Parts: sequence; C-alpha cells; structure tokens
Amino acid sequence: METLKNALDFSDFPRLDLTLAGAVAIFLMVFPFFSHSSFAMSTLIQFLIFSLYGMGWNTIGGYGGQVDLGKAQYLGIGAYTTAVMLLRWDTPFWISMPIGVLLSVTWSFIIGYPLFKLKGHYFAIATIATSLVLKDFFEVWDLVGGSRGIEILAGKYQAPDFLHLIFKGDDYYYYVILIFFFAGILFMNAFRKSRLGFQLRSIKDNEDIARSLGINVHWAKIKTYAIATAFVSAVGSFHACYVKNIEPEDTMSLDISILIALMAMLGGAGSLWGPIIGAAVLVPLKSYLKEWLGAQAGMVGIDLILYGAIIMIISAAEPRGIWGMVEKARRRRRS
Amino acid sequence: MEILAGSISAGLLIGMVFALVALGLTIIFGVMDIVNFAHGEFLMLGMYTALLTAQATGVDPLLTIPFAGLVGFLLGVICYLGFVKYLIRGPMVAQLLGTFGLMLVLRNLALFLFGSEDRTIHEGLLVGQSFDMGMGIILPATKLAAAVLSVISFIAVWLLINRTRIGKALMATALNAQGARYMGIPTERMNAFAWGLGGATVTMAGALLVNFWSVTPYVGLLFTMIAFAIVALGGFGSIPGAFFAGLIVGLITELPGIWDFATEMTGFDWMASVPMTSFKYTWVYLAYFLIMLIRPRGLFGWKH
Amino acid sequence: MALLEVKDLTKRFGGLTANQSISFQVSEGEILGLIGPNGAGKTTLFNCIAGLHPIDDGTIRFNGVDVTRLASHEIARLGLARTFQIMVASGDLNVLENIMVGCFMHTTSRMKAKAEAQRILKDMELSDLGGYLVSELPVAAQKRVAMATALGTRPKLLLLDEVAAGLNPSEIDGITATIHRIHSEIGVTVMLIEHVMEMVMNLSQRVVVLDYGQKIAEGDPRFVVKDPNVIKAYLGERYAKEHA
Repeated sequence: METLKNALDFSDFPRLDLTLAGAVAIFLMVFPFFSHSSFAMSTLIQFLIFSLYGMGWNTIGGYGGQVDLGKAQYLGIGAYTTAVMLLRWDTPFWISMPIGVLLSVTWSFIIGYPLFKLKGHYFAIATIATSLVLKDFFEVWDLVGGSRGIEILAGKYQAPDFLHLIFKGDDYYYYVILIFFFAGILFMNAFRKSRLGFQLRSIKDNEDIARSLGINVHWAKIKTYAIATAFVSAVGSFHACYVKNIEPEDTMSLDISILIALMAMLGGAGSLWGPIIGAAVLVPLKSYLKEWLGAQAGMVGIDLILYGAIIMIISAAEPRGIWGMVEKARRRRRS
Repeated sequence: MEILAGSISAGLLIGMVFALVALGLTIIFGVMDIVNFAHGEFLMLGMYTALLTAQATGVDPLLTIPFAGLVGFLLGVICYLGFVKYLIRGPMVAQLLGTFGLMLVLRNLALFLFGSEDRTIHEGLLVGQSFDMGMGIILPATKLAAAVLSVISFIAVWLLINRTRIGKALMATALNAQGARYMGIPTERMNAFAWGLGGATVTMAGALLVNFWSVTPYVGLLFTMIAFAIVALGGFGSIPGAFFAGLIVGLITELPGIWDFATEMTGFDWMASVPMTSFKYTWVYLAYFLIMLIRPRGLFGWKH
Repeated sequence: MALLEVKDLTKRFGGLTANQSISFQVSEGEILGLIGPNGAGKTTLFNCIAGLHPIDDGTIRFNGVDVTRLASHEIARLGLARTFQIMVASGDLNVLENIMVGCFMHTTSRMKAKAEAQRILKDMELSDLGGYLVSELPVAAQKRVAMATALGTRPKLLLLDEVAAGLNPSEIDGITATIHRIHSEIGVTVMLIEHVMEMVMNLSQRVVVLDYGQKIAEGDPRFVVKDPNVIKAYLGERYAKEHA
C-alpha cells in the first residue's frame, strides 16, 4: 500500500517541475489527435521506448552508479521471446512478455552474481563482453533465425489485435507504449523512495559506509540489476511487435547498449526525469539528423559524426547531464 | 599433429600483433586510468593511413609504418589536449561515454572519407609470400614481419619507459600524479605524451595489420574488445603483461584449430558439430570475464 | 556482561603488523576510549572489529555472537555501528536521507524511516539542516551527521573514529556533550578513538592504549595517563625518564 502511495506522491518536486511535467503528459496524451506526420509519430514512439530503456538503466546505472553497457542483451531476450513464441505458438503478447522478463531476469541473476564482484571500468567492460557473447550466440542460433533474424508476419492476424499486439496504425502502438511509459514513471518514483532505492544511493556514495549501515551491497546491486533488466526486456518485447522485424545486429548491438546509457547520462543519471529528458533530446536529434543528413548522397555517416560530437561535448562539459545543470543552478540560487 | 602445430604457430604470430594493438591501451590506462573506447578506431585509422599512403606514393607498405606512427602520435596528442583532458575531470560514466562518442566520430569520419568497402593491400614486398617450416607450420611473410616488428616495438617501448628520463617521468605520473607534480614533472605533458605514445603504437600496429587483414571503417570495435581482454589478462599498466597476454589471446582465437585437433585425437564426434569458428571471439570475451573474476590484477598487473 | 570481547586480535598488512594480539572487553553501557600515538593501529582495530578487514588471528565476540568471520553488513545488523573519518564522496543524499538509510535497516517503510530520521535529527540538534547536502555543512555539523547516521541503525555499540578531528574547543565541548547524551539518554555503549585528551578524560570510564600495534595499558584514564609506558609512547623515552 505504501508503495502505491510512494509511486503517486510527487510532492517533493517543486511546483514548476510538476506543472511542466503535467503539461508534457497532457501533450503526449492528446498528440495523436492532432495532424502529424508519420515520421513525427514514429519518433515519438521511439522517444517513449528509449525513455523506458533509460529509466530501467537509471536504476543501476544512475542511482546505483554502476555503468552498465550491456543492456541490449535483455532487449534481445525480450524481443526474441515474444517473436519466437508468436511465430511458433501464436502466444499473446501479454503472456510472452512476462515470460521474456522472467528469462531475462533469470539470466541477469546468473551473470549478475559474478558481474557485481567487479567495479568501475572493469564492470563496464564485462557487461559489454557478456552482451556481445549473447549476441554472437543469437547470430548462430537457428531457433531465433541466426543473423537473419525473425520476421513477424502481420498479415496473419486481424488488426487491431490487442492480444498479440498487432496493429495497422501507429496510433495503437503509441497508446500502448504511452501506458507503459506512465507506469514506468510511477514505478521509478516508488523505486527511488523505496528502501532499495535509498540503499543504492548510499552504495553509490560510499560502499563502506553503506555496509556499516547494514546494507548487503552485492545483493542490492544484483536486485537492482534485475529491475533494470525487467524494464528493458518488457519494452524489448513491445519493440518486436512494433517493428516486426528483428535481428541481432539492431536489437543487441553495442551501439544500442551505449545509446541507452547515453539517454540517461545526458538527461541526468540518478534523477527521475533525467532519462526522459535525455531521450527527449537524443531521439529526435538522431532521427532528424538521419533524415536530413544521413540519406543524402555522399554524406554517409555525417549524422553520426554530429551525434558523436554532441556526445563528446556533453561528456566533457556537463557530465552530470541536463538535470544536473538544473539542480546545480538551483542549489546555487538557494545559498 | 600438423593441425595443432599450424594452429599454435598461427596463434602465436597473430598474438604478437594483438599484443602490439593492446600496448597503447595499457600505456594510456597505466598513466591515466581512462578506458579508451576509441582505441580500435585509432588502429583503423592507422590501417587506412598505411594503405592509402602506400597506394598514393607507390612505396612499399612496410615503409609507411613510421609515417603511420607519426599520424598516430599526433592524433593521440590532439585527442588528449582537445578532449580527453576535460573528460577526466568528470565521473566515470562520462569518461566511458565520451570516448564512445569519439569512437563514433572517428568511425563515421572514416566512413565518410573512405567509404565502406573492404580494402586490403595487394602489392608489396612480402605480400603473398610465406615460409613453409614443415610440420604444418606455415608462416605468412607479412604476419611474420608484423610479429617481428611487434617484438621490436615492445622492446623499444620497454626501454623507453624504463631506461630514459622521460619514461621514468611517465611511470612517476602513472604511480602518483600528485606526487609527480610536486617533483616538478609536468603531468599534463606526460598525459599528452602517453596518449601520443599509445596512439603511435596502435597506428603502427594497424599499418602492420593491414598487410594481411582487410580494413573497413567498422573494424575497430573488434580490436578494441580484443585489446581490453589482453590488457585485463596481462594486467592494466603492465607492458610485459600485454605481450604475454597477447600471445594467449592469439592462441585463444586459434581455438577452432586446436579444437579440431582435439576432436581428431579424442574421437568425440559431437565435438565436430560445435560451430567453434563462429565463436572465435566469444572465447576472448569470455576469457576477459573469467580473468576479471579469478584474478582481477591480471598476470602482471600492479594497478587495480 | 561484555558486549564486545576481543581476544588476541592480530592483523597484518604484508610485512607490517598493524595489530598484535590485542585483547580487551567493552562492557554494556560504558564509554571506552581508545588512545595511542598516530599509527598505533587504532583505526585498523576499529576496521577489524567492524568487519572491514579479515583478521589473521584471534576472535571477536559481539553480544555473545562470534563475529570474527562475518561481513561488515552482517555485523552492523547485529547492532554495531561506526563513524568514518571521511563522511561522503559525491553525496546526492541530503542529511535527512543519509540518516534514513540507517533507519531503513529496521523497516521497509519510507514513512517510518523518515519519521525516525526526523526524530534523530532533532535529538542531534540538526533539525534545520535536514535538507542540505552533507558536503555543504561545516565540519562540526558533519560530525554530528556522521553520528546521527550511525544512530539510525539503533546500535548497541557505537564506534566513533576521531569525531573531534578538525574541531575548535567550543565545538569539541559541543560534541562531547552530544556523546554524553547519546550514551545516557539513548543508552548506547560507546567506544571512541580520540586524540583530544581532555575529551577522552571527560567521557571515558576506561581507556585502552595502543602503541605500535600492541596494547600497552588499560584502565581508569586518570591512572593510565600517569603510566610510564604510556608517557613513553606519547612523549618519548627521555621525557618519561625525566619525569618518572
């Protein structure tokens, strides 16, 4: 019960923040009713998807301070579980998604136990290693179609199919992911106020002090890692039904893992709004850069050069992210 | 037996080249505790430098190595002074993501400038030649030269670090930057030098590599991961460690051959059906993981 | 009953023996001072007792339980808390939240943890400072926050590591009074490492003296300070001889 209250209680944010958040929420809810390009719609859906990935990452990477660069593997597990179960057994999304989460979380416990004996760079590189190993494995595994991947044949189903999450128009997908989005925010709000949330933040500060306060550091990290995994896996399942065509290279690559971490870092790792702000900036940026620059003849790669440059600038100039800047300014004003 | 000998010799040869690739990373990490995701892109740029210079000037590719080294040195120094210097002030997340951004920029710059097709060196003194040592050991001349030059480079760098003043200054900065500063060592310049040296060694490795490994703008990531594994195994900051770890990793990549040999020897048929070749680099990643768990300090590491 | 029983505790770091066969007891309800020259091994002893370092020899019993091999978080859960000399690293938790972390040891409810933390805030006279980051506070307040954080776990034994370091005389008086209050009102057994002799004399009922990793004296502070071994340890052999 208290968890629910925690989830719904945003009172520790200043009025201004809540008003802005409310405005954005309303905008998101009514957006599809106004005329829009399909490009804008798909960008918004990507924004919501990546916000959720970022929120998940933020639990262990932001609040926990352990930089995880291997989240994509859980995206893959979630996406492929849903895709394979749909293809073979017509499994509804609402069943395959939880199963995907279960598989992902199980895997996360298996590798999490040894993984969290490491810290810092070593941990980060190890997460990359495990993710790439899994990706390599998926690329040769026949069950998941190897490097060719899996294609979901939408024609087999009568759209709109809420059970299997197959729709003709993006609008339906939009509202489904929007609900996930709001649920994710509520969950994160409850998380950062929960005992585990506090424990993590203490761990991030100073592990010895955390231990002296009775916190089992290793176990807290593993639990949080599992939560992050669940987020990513669930949305990965959605991703499969949305794009209907998945392969290891674009669901499990290192680039995606890094993108996820990037969203949260740019927006402000360790804060509630951070990943959302980060996604709000980076997703449209990436999409529009690609649109304007990527496809033009002879300009291959320019969009990513700009993208990379932006990452470099933010990392060097304001590593606490946008939200970090806001908080710094506020604190300065207070004193 | 021949398969085994062939695999082992191939593994050792390639291992020496891998070791040179990793050398730069261990130097930079030893001095500055920063993990450079763009390391493989430096390699890639070294490869392109050597290739294009050879093609443009008609010079034998092996002679382009010093030039590639110079390019690498400058690149390293510029990256440090222009970017990394600011990066190290921030939290680790920012450092990792920052060098990742650098990786994206360098990779796509290469894509933009050079296009995405595979390119290899087709002409050169040693290209296509090899020495048959019997017993299944065949040593391609280019790989042999690369291995030899790698060993020479290692010795040179080791001498530089341990026998020259500037090398000692570098070590001092690595061990205790604050203390080094008190002793009058210009740590900023040492950092830049470390990046320059790291950059130079890896671009030279690239110049050697391109003689037998085709280059695309995407070739970097694989080598970055291999370099990480080698540095972890050998011990972050250890030069001899990087060398021996490189050999081990080289052997690991030849595991399919050794596996085949073992299959033949033991007669377990199921072994033949394991797609070892596809997993070649998986073993490297796994090796990294296992090493970090069992002996995080690596074989020779002094910094943890 | 002895709340803490340390027997023959030995801790080596490579070639250096930081603690050599140290034995002593802390009775429930007392305040024990741990003194000795710099480098005597006092903080190491604390760290060993709190489970931060595995020890090479000896046993530690806390509240009747053998804690020699336990991890530090397990020992904390049994009722042993401590302060650290360095409070925070990056610190995105404010003072209240810091204390709440400790309170969470006994509850999963944020409301309960918050209520308890606020109570501790008041007890430690930090009520106005709850919303600040620890790094924003003056040193004296930081020390009180360190103690408050430890108190959140409702410890039976509290180890204080040089809480007076960096404080001026009036601040030292303040913190001495605070420790008195913690001891008498909340009822926590205290063991403290201190260099400020006045404080040790004012607070401790007994002291243990370490020098070069060994225990060289133990007992009532008024007598211990006159012990020639103790004087020698602090002031050197010549002074001890001259004032014997």
